[in-house]
Amino acid sequence: MKLRATLGYTAAAITVLIALLTPFLLMGLFSKGFVALGFHVDEMYSGGPKVRAIPMGAYSIDVHRPVYPHMLQSEKPFVQLDWQPVSALPQHVSDAVDVDGDGQPDIRVSFDVPKDPKAPLRVDVDSLNPRYETMRNAGKEKYSRLIVRVDKAILVRVPLVKP
Amino acid sequence: MATDVRTLPLARPEPRGILRSLLLTLPILIWSLLMFFNPGSSTAPIRRIAAAITVLFMTSLFFMMMRTRSTYRWRRIFFVSLGILFPIGFIYNLILMRGSMGIPVEEMIAGRTPFCFMPIPFLILPAALTRTLVFPGSIASSSHGIAAMVALWLALTLVMGKGWCSYACFFGGIEEGVAAIPARAKIRKLDPRLRYVPWAVLLAMVLLSLAIFEPAYCMWLCPFKAVTEYVAARNALGLVQNVIFVLLFAGLVIVLPFLTKKRTQCSWFCPFGAFQSIFNKISIFEVKIDKERCKPCLLCQNACPNLSLSKESVARGETLLSCMKCGACVDVCPRQAIVWHIKGTQIAWKPERARLMFLYSAWALAVMFGGSIIAESVYTILHFVV
Repeated sequence: MKLRATLGYTAAAITVLIALLTPFLLMGLFSKGFVALGFHVDEMYSGGPKVRAIPMGAYSIDVHRPVYPHMLQSEKPFVQLDWQPVSALPQHVSDAVDVDGDGQPDIRVSFDVPKDPKAPLRVDVDSLNPRYETMRNAGKEKYSRLIVRVDKAILVRVPLVKP
Repeated sequence: MATDVRTLPLARPEPRGILRSLLLTLPILIWSLLMFFNPGSSTAPIRRIAAAITVLFMTSLFFMMMRTRSTYRWRRIFFVSLGILFPIGFIYNLILMRGSMGIPVEEMIAGRTPFCFMPIPFLILPAALTRTLVFPGSIASSSHGIAAMVALWLALTLVMGKGWCSYACFFGGIEEGVAAIPARAKIRKLDPRLRYVPWAVLLAMVLLSLAIFEPAYCMWLCPFKAVTEYVAARNALGLVQNVIFVLLFAGLVIVLPFLTKKRTQCSWFCPFGAFQSIFNKISIFEVKIDKERCKPCLLCQNACPNLSLSKESVARGETLLSCMKCGACVDVCPRQAIVWHIKGTQIAWKPERARLMFLYSAWALAVMFGGSIIAESVYTILHFVV
Protein backbone atom coordinates (compact mmCIF):
# COMPACT_ATOMS: atom_id res chain seq x y z
CA MET A 1 0.00 0.00 0.00
CA LYS A 2 2.84 2.35 0.91
CA LEU A 3 4.61 1.58 -2.39
CA ARG A 4 1.41 2.22 -4.34
CA ALA A 5 0.93 5.53 -2.55
CA THR A 6 4.53 6.52 -3.26
CA LEU A 7 4.08 5.63 -6.92
CA GLY A 8 0.80 7.58 -6.98
CA TYR A 9 2.37 10.72 -5.56
CA THR A 10 5.36 10.37 -7.89
CA ALA A 11 3.02 10.13 -10.89
CA ALA A 12 1.03 13.13 -9.60
CA ALA A 13 4.24 15.16 -9.24
CA ILE A 14 5.26 14.17 -12.78
CA THR A 15 1.83 15.28 -13.99
CA VAL A 16 2.31 18.71 -12.39
CA LEU A 17 5.72 18.86 -14.08
CA ILE A 18 4.17 17.94 -17.44
CA ALA A 19 1.70 20.80 -17.01
CA LEU A 20 4.48 23.27 -16.24
CA LEU A 21 6.64 22.10 -19.14
CA THR A 22 3.79 22.10 -21.68
CA PRO A 23 4.12 25.64 -23.07
CA PHE A 24 7.90 25.75 -22.95
CA LEU A 25 8.92 22.29 -24.11
CA LEU A 26 6.25 19.66 -24.57
CA MET A 27 4.02 21.51 -27.06
CA GLY A 28 6.98 21.94 -29.40
CA LEU A 29 8.19 18.37 -28.88
CA PHE A 30 4.79 16.79 -29.41
CA SER A 31 4.14 19.01 -32.41
CA LYS A 32 7.47 18.09 -34.04
CA GLY A 33 6.83 14.44 -33.21
CA PHE A 34 3.46 14.58 -34.95
CA VAL A 35 4.96 16.22 -38.04
CA ALA A 36 7.71 13.57 -38.08
CA LEU A 37 5.07 10.84 -38.39
CA GLY A 38 4.83 11.90 -42.04
CA PHE A 39 1.09 12.32 -42.41
CA HIS A 40 -0.27 14.40 -45.27
CA VAL A 41 -3.54 16.25 -45.78
CA ASP A 42 -6.00 14.37 -47.98
CA GLU A 43 -5.25 15.16 -51.61
CA MET A 44 -8.95 15.71 -52.22
CA TYR A 45 -8.33 19.00 -50.38
CA SER A 46 -4.69 19.73 -51.27
CA GLY A 47 -4.93 18.70 -54.93
CA GLY A 48 -1.94 16.37 -54.81
CA PRO A 49 1.75 17.14 -55.44
CA LYS A 50 2.86 19.16 -58.46
CA VAL A 51 4.61 17.01 -61.05
CA ARG A 52 5.66 19.58 -63.63
CA ALA A 53 5.19 23.14 -64.85
CA ILE A 54 4.31 24.15 -68.41
CA PRO A 55 5.74 27.60 -69.27
CA MET A 56 3.25 29.77 -71.16
CA GLY A 57 5.29 32.97 -71.58
CA ALA A 58 4.36 35.41 -68.81
CA TYR A 59 2.59 32.76 -66.79
CA SER A 60 2.83 29.01 -66.26
CA ILE A 61 0.54 26.05 -65.72
CA ASP A 62 1.43 23.69 -62.87
CA VAL A 63 0.22 20.15 -63.43
CA HIS A 64 -0.52 18.02 -60.37
CA ARG A 65 -0.50 14.26 -60.01
CA PRO A 66 -3.99 12.77 -60.53
CA VAL A 67 -5.97 12.31 -57.32
CA TYR A 68 -8.08 9.22 -56.77
CA PRO A 69 -10.84 9.03 -54.15
CA HIS A 70 -10.58 6.71 -51.12
CA MET A 71 -13.19 4.19 -50.06
CA LEU A 72 -16.70 5.66 -50.45
CA GLN A 73 -15.59 9.25 -51.03
CA SER A 74 -18.27 10.89 -53.13
CA GLU A 75 -15.91 12.45 -55.68
CA LYS A 76 -14.50 11.45 -59.03
CA PRO A 77 -10.78 11.12 -59.68
CA PHE A 78 -9.39 14.42 -60.97
CA VAL A 79 -6.30 16.28 -62.01
CA GLN A 80 -5.53 19.81 -60.79
CA LEU A 81 -3.98 22.51 -62.95
CA ASP A 82 -2.79 25.87 -61.54
CA TRP A 83 -2.54 28.99 -63.69
CA GLN A 84 -0.17 31.43 -62.05
CA PRO A 85 0.51 34.21 -61.36
CA VAL A 86 -2.97 35.62 -61.83
CA SER A 87 -1.49 39.08 -62.42
CA ALA A 88 0.19 37.82 -65.63
CA LEU A 89 -2.92 36.14 -67.06
CA PRO A 90 -4.79 37.73 -69.99
CA GLN A 91 -8.46 38.75 -69.57
CA HIS A 92 -9.49 35.54 -71.27
CA VAL A 93 -7.51 32.32 -71.07
CA SER A 94 -7.93 29.54 -73.59
CA ASP A 95 -5.08 27.07 -73.39
CA ALA A 96 -4.60 23.59 -74.80
CA VAL A 97 -2.86 21.63 -72.06
CA ASP A 98 -0.80 18.46 -72.31
CA VAL A 99 -1.74 17.00 -68.94
CA ASP A 100 -0.05 13.61 -69.12
CA GLY A 101 3.18 14.86 -70.72
CA ASP A 102 3.00 12.75 -73.90
CA GLY A 103 3.46 15.74 -76.21
CA GLN A 104 -0.22 15.81 -77.27
CA PRO A 105 -2.79 18.28 -75.85
CA ASP A 106 -5.37 16.48 -73.70
CA ILE A 107 -7.82 19.29 -72.89
CA ARG A 108 -8.58 22.87 -73.84
CA VAL A 109 -9.36 25.03 -70.84
CA SER A 110 -11.15 28.38 -71.23
CA PHE A 111 -12.05 30.90 -68.56
CA ASP A 112 -12.31 34.64 -68.00
CA VAL A 113 -10.05 36.34 -65.47
CA PRO A 114 -12.05 39.08 -63.71
CA LYS A 115 -10.16 41.96 -62.12
CA ASP A 116 -12.15 41.58 -58.88
CA PRO A 117 -10.47 38.72 -56.98
CA LYS A 118 -13.77 37.87 -55.29
CA ALA A 119 -15.76 37.62 -58.51
CA PRO A 120 -17.07 34.10 -59.24
CA LEU A 121 -15.17 32.11 -61.85
CA ARG A 122 -16.57 29.82 -64.55
CA VAL A 123 -14.66 27.39 -66.74
CA ASP A 124 -15.21 25.37 -69.92
CA VAL A 125 -13.07 22.32 -70.55
CA ASP A 126 -13.10 20.57 -73.92
CA SER A 127 -11.84 17.06 -73.79
CA LEU A 128 -9.26 16.21 -76.48
CA ASN A 129 -8.47 12.88 -74.84
CA PRO A 130 -11.27 10.52 -73.72
CA ARG A 131 -9.55 10.13 -70.33
CA TYR A 132 -10.70 13.63 -69.33
CA GLU A 133 -14.26 14.84 -68.87
CA THR A 134 -15.73 17.82 -70.66
CA MET A 135 -16.94 20.63 -68.38
CA ARG A 136 -19.38 23.39 -69.29
CA ASN A 137 -19.74 26.60 -67.28
CA ALA A 138 -18.46 24.84 -64.15
CA GLY A 139 -18.02 26.78 -60.92
CA LYS A 140 -17.09 25.13 -57.63
CA GLU A 141 -19.75 22.49 -57.15
CA LYS A 142 -17.47 19.61 -56.18
CA TYR A 143 -13.84 19.11 -55.14
CA SER A 144 -13.25 17.10 -58.30
CA ARG A 145 -14.83 19.62 -60.65
CA LEU A 146 -14.12 23.25 -59.98
CA ILE A 147 -12.39 26.50 -60.71
CA VAL A 148 -11.29 28.67 -57.80
CA ARG A 149 -8.84 31.43 -57.09
CA VAL A 150 -6.40 30.63 -54.29
CA ASP A 151 -3.93 33.40 -53.50
CA LYS A 152 -1.92 34.10 -56.68
CA ALA A 153 -3.21 31.17 -58.73
CA ILE A 154 -6.36 30.04 -60.49
CA LEU A 155 -6.94 26.34 -59.90
CA VAL A 156 -8.94 24.16 -62.26
CA ARG A 157 -9.80 20.56 -61.37
CA VAL A 158 -10.81 18.35 -64.28
CA PRO A 159 -12.52 15.01 -63.56
CA LEU A 160 -11.02 11.88 -65.05
CA VAL A 161 -13.22 9.35 -66.77
CA LYS A 162 -13.22 6.17 -64.71
CA PRO A 163 -11.53 3.30 -66.59
CA MET B 1 -35.18 5.71 -1.05
CA ALA B 2 -32.99 8.80 -0.81
CA THR B 3 -32.09 10.09 2.62
CA ASP B 4 -33.52 13.45 3.68
CA VAL B 5 -30.45 15.66 3.48
CA ARG B 6 -31.82 18.00 6.13
CA THR B 7 -31.16 15.32 8.74
CA LEU B 8 -27.51 14.96 7.77
CA PRO B 9 -24.87 16.72 9.84
CA LEU B 10 -23.39 19.47 7.70
CA ALA B 11 -19.64 19.56 7.56
CA ARG B 12 -18.74 22.39 5.22
CA PRO B 13 -15.01 23.05 5.02
CA GLU B 14 -13.75 26.05 6.93
CA PRO B 15 -12.47 28.88 4.71
CA ARG B 16 -8.72 29.10 4.51
CA GLY B 17 -6.98 32.17 5.92
CA ILE B 18 -6.45 35.05 3.48
CA LEU B 19 -2.68 35.05 3.83
CA ARG B 20 -2.39 31.31 3.30
CA SER B 21 -4.77 31.53 0.33
CA LEU B 22 -2.65 34.31 -1.15
CA LEU B 23 0.49 32.23 -0.71
CA LEU B 24 -1.14 29.27 -2.42
CA THR B 25 -2.26 31.56 -5.26
CA LEU B 26 1.20 33.07 -5.77
CA PRO B 27 2.48 30.30 -8.11
CA ILE B 28 -0.55 30.77 -10.37
CA LEU B 29 -0.04 34.56 -10.39
CA ILE B 30 3.61 34.11 -11.40
CA TRP B 31 2.61 31.53 -14.01
CA SER B 32 -0.09 33.83 -15.44
CA LEU B 33 2.36 36.76 -15.66
CA LEU B 34 4.83 34.46 -17.39
CA MET B 35 2.18 33.39 -19.90
CA PHE B 36 0.89 36.87 -20.76
CA PHE B 37 3.80 39.23 -20.11
CA ASN B 38 6.76 37.27 -21.43
CA PRO B 39 9.39 39.03 -23.58
CA GLY B 40 7.75 37.74 -26.77
CA SER B 41 4.27 39.08 -26.00
CA SER B 42 2.80 42.12 -27.73
CA THR B 43 3.53 45.55 -26.25
CA ALA B 44 0.44 47.18 -27.82
CA PRO B 45 -1.44 48.95 -24.98
CA ILE B 46 -4.84 47.31 -25.67
CA ARG B 47 -3.20 43.87 -25.76
CA ARG B 48 -1.50 44.62 -22.44
CA ILE B 49 -4.80 45.71 -20.88
CA ALA B 50 -6.50 42.53 -22.15
CA ALA B 51 -3.66 40.44 -20.76
CA ALA B 52 -3.82 42.22 -17.38
CA ILE B 53 -7.61 41.66 -17.17
CA THR B 54 -7.09 37.97 -17.94
CA VAL B 55 -4.32 37.56 -15.37
CA LEU B 56 -6.46 39.27 -12.73
CA PHE B 57 -9.49 37.16 -13.67
CA MET B 58 -7.74 33.78 -13.63
CA THR B 59 -5.73 34.55 -10.50
CA SER B 60 -8.76 35.85 -8.57
CA LEU B 61 -10.73 32.70 -9.37
CA PHE B 62 -7.86 30.52 -8.20
CA PHE B 63 -7.59 32.59 -5.02
CA MET B 64 -11.29 31.99 -4.34
CA MET B 65 -10.78 28.25 -4.91
CA MET B 66 -8.04 28.33 -2.30
CA ARG B 67 -9.95 30.55 0.13
CA THR B 68 -13.29 28.72 0.01
CA ARG B 69 -11.83 25.23 -0.60
CA SER B 70 -14.55 24.76 -3.21
CA THR B 71 -13.84 24.25 -6.90
CA TYR B 72 -16.97 24.04 -8.99
CA ARG B 73 -18.51 27.50 -8.82
CA TRP B 74 -15.19 29.31 -9.47
CA ARG B 75 -14.21 26.95 -12.27
CA ARG B 76 -17.67 27.48 -13.73
CA ILE B 77 -17.16 31.25 -13.89
CA PHE B 78 -13.99 30.67 -15.91
CA PHE B 79 -15.57 28.01 -18.07
CA VAL B 80 -18.73 29.96 -18.90
CA SER B 81 -16.63 33.05 -19.67
CA LEU B 82 -14.53 30.93 -22.01
CA GLY B 83 -17.64 29.53 -23.68
CA ILE B 84 -19.10 33.01 -24.23
CA LEU B 85 -15.90 34.79 -25.20
CA PHE B 86 -14.46 32.17 -27.55
CA PRO B 87 -17.09 32.66 -30.30
CA ILE B 88 -16.72 36.45 -30.04
CA GLY B 89 -12.98 36.40 -30.73
CA PHE B 90 -13.19 33.57 -33.23
CA ILE B 91 -16.03 35.02 -35.28
CA TYR B 92 -14.41 38.46 -35.28
CA ASN B 93 -11.21 36.98 -36.70
CA LEU B 94 -13.16 35.03 -39.33
CA ILE B 95 -15.01 38.15 -40.44
CA LEU B 96 -11.73 40.04 -40.53
CA MET B 97 -9.96 37.35 -42.58
CA ARG B 98 -12.66 36.22 -44.97
CA GLY B 99 -15.73 38.37 -44.36
CA SER B 100 -17.96 35.46 -43.37
CA MET B 101 -18.41 32.58 -40.92
CA GLY B 102 -18.79 30.20 -43.85
CA ILE B 103 -15.64 28.36 -44.97
CA PRO B 104 -15.35 28.82 -48.73
CA VAL B 105 -13.91 25.94 -50.71
CA GLU B 106 -10.90 28.14 -51.60
CA GLU B 107 -9.89 28.27 -47.92
CA MET B 108 -10.21 24.50 -47.58
CA ILE B 109 -8.05 23.90 -50.66
CA ALA B 110 -5.49 26.41 -49.35
CA GLY B 111 -5.41 24.45 -46.05
CA ARG B 112 -6.49 27.43 -44.02
CA THR B 113 -9.36 25.87 -42.06
CA PRO B 114 -8.53 26.30 -38.35
CA PHE B 115 -8.25 22.91 -36.69
CA CYS B 116 -10.22 22.43 -33.49
CA PHE B 117 -9.85 19.36 -31.29
CA MET B 118 -13.22 17.78 -32.20
CA PRO B 119 -12.04 15.90 -35.33
CA ILE B 120 -9.11 14.19 -33.55
CA PRO B 121 -10.90 10.84 -32.97
CA PHE B 122 -12.10 10.80 -36.57
CA LEU B 123 -8.63 11.27 -38.02
CA ILE B 124 -7.11 8.23 -36.34
CA LEU B 125 -8.29 5.36 -38.57
CA PRO B 126 -7.74 7.07 -41.95
CA ALA B 127 -4.31 8.26 -40.74
CA ALA B 128 -3.36 4.81 -39.46
CA LEU B 129 -4.44 3.06 -42.64
CA THR B 130 -3.36 5.54 -45.33
CA ARG B 131 -1.22 8.20 -43.58
CA THR B 132 -3.83 10.69 -44.73
CA LEU B 133 -5.40 13.37 -42.53
CA VAL B 134 -8.99 13.88 -43.61
CA PHE B 135 -9.18 17.55 -42.69
CA PRO B 136 -8.83 20.59 -44.97
CA GLY B 137 -6.17 22.28 -42.85
CA SER B 138 -2.40 22.52 -42.64
CA ILE B 139 -0.27 20.21 -40.56
CA ALA B 140 2.53 22.41 -39.31
CA SER B 141 1.74 25.93 -40.45
CA SER B 142 0.56 27.87 -37.40
CA SER B 143 -1.02 27.73 -33.98
CA HIS B 144 -4.24 26.72 -35.77
CA GLY B 145 -2.41 23.87 -37.53
CA ILE B 146 -3.22 20.22 -36.94
CA ALA B 147 0.14 19.39 -35.28
CA ALA B 148 -0.11 22.26 -32.78
CA MET B 149 -3.65 21.34 -31.70
CA VAL B 150 -2.86 17.62 -31.46
CA ALA B 151 0.21 18.46 -29.33
CA LEU B 152 -1.84 20.69 -27.05
CA TRP B 153 -4.57 18.08 -26.73
CA LEU B 154 -2.05 15.37 -25.91
CA ALA B 155 -0.34 17.40 -23.18
CA LEU B 156 -3.62 18.46 -21.59
CA THR B 157 -5.01 14.95 -21.78
CA LEU B 158 -1.96 13.48 -20.06
CA VAL B 159 -2.53 15.94 -17.24
CA MET B 160 -6.31 16.01 -16.90
CA GLY B 161 -7.82 13.03 -18.70
CA LYS B 162 -11.45 13.96 -19.19
CA GLY B 163 -10.85 17.07 -17.15
CA TRP B 164 -10.35 18.52 -20.66
CA CYS B 165 -14.14 18.86 -20.81
CA SER B 166 -14.17 21.08 -17.69
CA TYR B 167 -10.98 23.12 -18.04
CA ALA B 168 -10.14 23.32 -21.74
CA CYS B 169 -13.11 22.72 -24.05
CA PHE B 170 -14.09 26.11 -25.42
CA PHE B 171 -17.57 24.88 -26.30
CA GLY B 172 -18.84 23.31 -23.07
CA GLY B 173 -19.06 26.63 -21.25
CA ILE B 174 -22.00 27.76 -23.37
CA GLU B 175 -24.28 24.98 -22.18
CA GLU B 176 -22.89 25.11 -18.64
CA GLY B 177 -23.86 28.78 -18.61
CA VAL B 178 -27.35 28.05 -19.93
CA ALA B 179 -27.78 25.23 -17.38
CA ALA B 180 -26.92 27.67 -14.59
CA ILE B 181 -29.75 30.08 -15.46
CA PRO B 182 -32.88 28.37 -14.07
CA ALA B 183 -33.18 27.88 -10.31
CA ARG B 184 -34.66 24.40 -10.69
CA ALA B 185 -34.71 21.78 -13.42
CA LYS B 186 -37.99 21.51 -15.30
CA ILE B 187 -37.17 17.98 -16.41
CA ARG B 188 -35.81 15.88 -13.57
CA LYS B 189 -36.27 12.31 -14.69
CA LEU B 190 -33.53 11.53 -17.18
CA ASP B 191 -33.13 8.14 -18.78
CA PRO B 192 -29.69 6.82 -17.70
CA ARG B 193 -29.37 4.92 -20.97
CA LEU B 194 -28.83 8.24 -22.74
CA ARG B 195 -25.28 8.14 -21.31
CA TYR B 196 -24.38 5.59 -23.95
CA VAL B 197 -25.42 7.76 -26.90
CA PRO B 198 -22.05 9.62 -27.13
CA TRP B 199 -20.30 6.25 -27.49
CA ALA B 200 -22.69 5.29 -30.28
CA VAL B 201 -22.13 8.66 -32.00
CA LEU B 202 -18.35 8.20 -31.60
CA LEU B 203 -18.38 4.72 -33.11
CA ALA B 204 -20.68 5.71 -35.96
CA MET B 205 -18.69 8.84 -36.81
CA VAL B 206 -15.30 7.10 -36.62
CA LEU B 207 -16.48 4.43 -39.06
CA LEU B 208 -18.27 6.91 -41.30
CA SER B 209 -15.21 9.19 -41.40
CA LEU B 210 -13.14 6.23 -42.56
CA ALA B 211 -15.73 5.23 -45.16
CA ILE B 212 -16.33 8.64 -46.73
CA PHE B 213 -12.87 10.05 -45.94
CA GLU B 214 -14.22 13.23 -44.42
CA PRO B 215 -14.49 14.38 -40.81
CA ALA B 216 -18.12 13.24 -40.80
CA TYR B 217 -19.01 14.74 -37.42
CA CYS B 218 -17.74 18.18 -38.44
CA MET B 219 -19.52 17.98 -41.77
CA TRP B 220 -22.87 16.85 -40.42
CA LEU B 221 -23.42 16.91 -36.68
CA CYS B 222 -21.28 19.39 -34.76
CA PRO B 223 -23.71 21.74 -32.95
CA PHE B 224 -20.97 24.32 -32.42
CA LYS B 225 -20.69 25.01 -36.13
CA ALA B 226 -23.63 27.30 -35.40
CA VAL B 227 -21.39 29.63 -33.39
CA THR B 228 -18.01 29.17 -35.07
CA GLU B 229 -17.61 28.37 -38.73
CA TYR B 230 -19.55 26.19 -41.08
CA VAL B 231 -19.28 24.92 -44.61
CA ALA B 232 -20.47 27.75 -46.84
CA ALA B 233 -23.81 26.61 -48.27
CA ARG B 234 -22.97 26.29 -51.96
CA ASN B 235 -25.91 24.01 -52.70
CA ALA B 236 -28.97 22.35 -51.13
CA LEU B 237 -26.78 19.83 -49.34
CA GLY B 238 -24.82 22.61 -47.65
CA LEU B 239 -28.07 24.25 -46.61
CA VAL B 240 -29.26 20.99 -45.02
CA GLN B 241 -25.94 20.70 -43.14
CA ASN B 242 -26.30 24.20 -41.73
CA VAL B 243 -29.92 23.62 -40.68
CA ILE B 244 -28.78 20.50 -38.79
CA PHE B 245 -26.04 22.48 -37.00
CA VAL B 246 -28.49 25.16 -35.88
CA LEU B 247 -31.16 22.68 -34.74
CA LEU B 248 -28.65 20.61 -32.76
CA PHE B 249 -27.22 23.72 -31.16
CA ALA B 250 -30.65 25.06 -30.23
CA GLY B 251 -31.78 21.71 -28.85
CA LEU B 252 -28.70 20.32 -27.11
CA VAL B 253 -26.88 23.49 -26.07
CA ILE B 254 -29.74 25.89 -25.28
CA VAL B 255 -33.15 24.26 -24.71
CA LEU B 256 -32.24 20.97 -22.98
CA PRO B 257 -29.59 22.41 -20.62
CA PHE B 258 -32.15 25.05 -19.61
CA LEU B 259 -34.79 22.41 -18.92
CA THR B 260 -32.56 19.84 -17.21
CA LYS B 261 -29.76 21.95 -15.64
CA LYS B 262 -27.34 19.45 -17.18
CA ARG B 263 -24.71 19.70 -19.89
CA THR B 264 -26.87 17.69 -22.25
CA GLN B 265 -24.71 17.99 -25.35
CA CYS B 266 -21.72 16.68 -23.39
CA SER B 267 -23.72 13.96 -21.61
CA TRP B 268 -25.89 12.73 -24.42
CA PHE B 269 -24.18 13.51 -27.68
CA CYS B 270 -20.55 14.66 -27.77
CA PRO B 271 -18.37 11.93 -29.33
CA PHE B 272 -15.19 13.77 -28.36
CA GLY B 273 -16.29 13.62 -24.72
CA ALA B 274 -16.79 9.87 -25.03
CA PHE B 275 -13.35 9.54 -26.64
CA GLN B 276 -11.85 11.68 -23.87
CA SER B 277 -13.44 9.44 -21.20
CA ILE B 278 -11.03 6.68 -22.22
CA PHE B 279 -8.14 8.82 -21.00
CA ASN B 280 -9.60 9.00 -17.50
CA LYS B 281 -8.12 5.52 -17.17
CA ILE B 282 -4.58 6.88 -17.53
CA SER B 283 -5.14 10.12 -15.60
CA ILE B 284 -3.61 10.00 -12.12
CA PHE B 285 -6.24 12.32 -10.62
CA GLU B 286 -9.79 11.16 -9.98
CA VAL B 287 -12.83 11.72 -7.79
CA LYS B 288 -13.69 9.00 -5.27
CA ILE B 289 -16.39 8.40 -2.69
CA ASP B 290 -15.53 7.42 0.86
CA LYS B 291 -18.09 4.68 1.40
CA GLU B 292 -17.77 4.87 5.18
CA ARG B 293 -18.78 8.52 5.28
CA CYS B 294 -21.34 8.40 2.47
CA LYS B 295 -25.00 8.21 3.48
CA PRO B 296 -26.37 8.02 -0.02
CA CYS B 297 -28.48 11.17 -0.17
CA LEU B 298 -27.64 11.37 -3.90
CA LEU B 299 -27.20 15.13 -3.79
CA CYS B 300 -24.05 14.44 -5.77
CA GLN B 301 -25.99 12.67 -8.49
CA ASN B 302 -28.32 15.65 -8.80
CA ALA B 303 -25.44 18.11 -8.82
CA CYS B 304 -23.35 16.30 -11.45
CA PRO B 305 -23.74 18.27 -14.69
CA ASN B 306 -22.66 15.30 -16.78
CA LEU B 307 -24.65 12.35 -15.41
CA SER B 308 -21.37 10.80 -14.23
CA LEU B 309 -22.80 9.42 -10.99
CA SER B 310 -25.41 6.73 -10.55
CA LYS B 311 -26.76 4.95 -7.48
CA GLU B 312 -24.64 1.95 -8.40
CA SER B 313 -21.44 3.94 -8.89
CA VAL B 314 -21.99 5.77 -5.59
CA ALA B 315 -22.42 2.40 -3.90
CA ARG B 316 -19.13 1.27 -5.47
CA GLY B 317 -17.46 4.45 -4.21
CA GLU B 318 -16.54 5.84 -7.60
CA THR B 319 -17.70 8.07 -10.42
CA LEU B 320 -18.45 6.77 -13.89
CA LEU B 321 -15.82 6.81 -16.63
CA SER B 322 -17.30 10.03 -18.03
CA CYS B 323 -16.40 12.11 -14.91
CA MET B 324 -15.13 15.55 -16.01
CA LYS B 325 -13.51 16.43 -12.68
CA CYS B 326 -15.51 19.63 -12.42
CA GLY B 327 -15.82 19.31 -8.64
CA ALA B 328 -19.62 19.80 -8.42
CA CYS B 329 -20.18 16.58 -6.46
CA VAL B 330 -17.21 17.19 -4.15
CA ASP B 331 -18.48 20.66 -3.26
CA VAL B 332 -22.10 19.67 -2.74
CA CYS B 333 -21.54 16.65 -0.48
CA PRO B 334 -22.72 17.63 3.03
CA ARG B 335 -20.55 14.94 4.64
CA GLN B 336 -17.40 15.55 2.59
CA ALA B 337 -17.56 11.94 1.52
CA ILE B 338 -16.64 12.75 -2.08
CA VAL B 339 -13.00 13.62 -2.42
CA TRP B 340 -10.25 14.40 -4.90
CA HIS B 341 -7.96 11.43 -5.08
CA ILE B 342 -4.60 10.36 -6.45
CA LYS B 343 -4.58 6.80 -7.76
CA GLY B 344 -2.71 4.41 -5.52
CA THR B 345 -3.23 6.42 -2.35
CA GLN B 346 -5.72 5.70 0.40
CA ILE B 347 -9.17 7.19 -0.22
CA ALA B 348 -9.92 10.34 1.78
CA TRP B 349 -6.34 10.52 3.07
CA LYS B 350 -5.30 14.17 2.66
CA PRO B 351 -7.83 14.85 -0.13
CA GLU B 352 -6.96 18.57 -0.14
CA ARG B 353 -3.41 17.64 -1.16
CA ALA B 354 -4.80 15.69 -4.12
CA ARG B 355 -7.09 18.61 -4.98
CA LEU B 356 -4.22 21.09 -4.89
CA MET B 357 -1.98 18.94 -7.08
CA PHE B 358 -4.78 18.51 -9.60
CA LEU B 359 -5.78 22.17 -9.53
CA TYR B 360 -2.23 23.48 -9.96
CA SER B 361 -1.73 21.39 -13.08
CA ALA B 362 -5.25 21.88 -14.47
CA TRP B 363 -5.37 25.62 -13.74
CA ALA B 364 -1.88 26.21 -15.14
CA LEU B 365 -3.04 24.71 -18.43
CA ALA B 366 -6.38 26.50 -18.23
CA VAL B 367 -4.48 29.79 -17.94
CA MET B 368 -2.27 28.85 -20.87
CA PHE B 369 -5.01 27.66 -23.22
CA GLY B 370 -8.37 29.03 -22.09
CA GLY B 371 -6.72 32.14 -20.68
CA SER B 372 -5.13 32.99 -24.01
CA ILE B 373 -8.52 32.60 -25.73
CA ILE B 374 -10.12 34.88 -23.13
CA ALA B 375 -7.32 37.44 -23.54
CA GLU B 376 -7.77 37.42 -27.32
CA SER B 377 -11.54 37.92 -27.01
CA VAL B 378 -11.16 40.66 -24.38
CA TYR B 379 -8.74 42.33 -26.79
CA THR B 380 -11.37 42.08 -29.54
CA ILE B 381 -13.98 43.71 -27.32
CA LEU B 382 -11.59 46.44 -26.14
CA HIS B 383 -10.58 47.02 -29.75
CA PHE B 384 -14.21 47.94 -30.50
CA VAL B 385 -14.87 49.88 -27.31
CA VAL B 386 -11.68 51.94 -27.00
